[in-house]
Amino acid sequence: MDDDWKQAWQPLVEAVGQDFSEGKRYWGADCVEKGGIRRFLEPLEFDCPLHYDDAIARRHGYGGVIAPFSSYLSLTIPAIWRPGKSVFTSAEPHAQPESDNPIAGIGTKLAPPTSGYFATDLEIEYLKPVLLGDRLCRAGRKLLSCEPKETKVGCGAFTCWETEIRNQDDEIVALLRLTVFSYNPHPEQ
Amino acid sequence: MDWSKQRYWDDIEVGDEVPPVSFPLSIYRMVMAAGGNRDFNSIHHNSEYARRTGAPDMYANNTFLQGMWERTVREYIGLAGVIRKVAGFRMKIFNTVGETVVARGRVKRRWLEGTAGMLELEIWCETSKGVSVGPGTVTVTLPRREAPGGARAAC
Repeated sequence: MDDDWKQAWQPLVEAVGQDFSEGKRYWGADCVEKGGIRRFLEPLEFDCPLHYDDAIARRHGYGGVIAPFSSYLSLTIPAIWRPGKSVFTSAEPHAQPESDNPIAGIGTKLAPPTSGYFATDLEIEYLKPVLLGDRLCRAGRKLLSCEPKETKVGCGAFTCWETEIRNQDDEIVALLRLTVFSYNPHPEQ
Repeated sequence: MDWSKQRYWDDIEVGDEVPPVSFPLSIYRMVMAAGGNRDFNSIHHNSEYARRTGAPDMYANNTFLQGMWERTVREYIGLAGVIRKVAGFRMKIFNTVGETVVARGRVKRRWLEGTAGMLELEIWCETSKGVSVGPGTVTVTLPRREAPGGARAAC
């Protein structure tokens, strides 16, 4: 009985090595633009001029202003709302938008339903700078590992996913391995 | 930050400190981070929601923390340095609102790859609860003094 939650993850454990992307590309909402970079830099108080000064960026060998390296994942996040859709349908203070959560990890029918998730580990290799006007997508969603585990916050599984980040010219700009803990909080919490 | 100054690979020694950068986490800043990096998961800007998920309070998301590493590393390697790889970026404990996250590091390894001056920096974050992210590594390229004009930046 105690191990029922663990058993529920077994189908995903057995799928390690599988690519769940079905060949689809998951595009970020927008092209890289100055305002988006500024909003990314502001909470970091990060004043590196490569990210806002075209002349300085060119002087250092780039084709113009570049996006911060740590922003690549954000640049692949699709829109939460689109014209014609309604996603904010409840006034309950903690209601979540009625939308496929673009950052909720990798959706797969092989995993049991979970209400919580957060990223735990990240490895990323940068292969090409990202310039103003570029548009990024995630390509490939290969499951590298699935480890069911009970932690302080709940019961779930650590899943590690491998993804390529590509630009509009289908060039790989970064290789990403992201581990996410998907879980159901302990009942007493 | 004076961006006109540039470190060179030749002047670096293993064990050198990567100077710390502090990031006090107020609610205001967390909300700006969510808006800036588009990770609107409520665990990162809503205390009550975060507690329902088993966390002690709202906490910084992985992209915000990555940005802290990037700023810390960039301020060390300067404009001519290039960030190649981040590994071992493990979020061990929650970086919650009300804490000050301090990102810091040291030079772990120094070598040449062809003519490129390479460094492996060991980087981590600390809060009042201890090491919260890492220690992991950031692999970078720095210009060399003997290379006319310095090593080329763009990867």
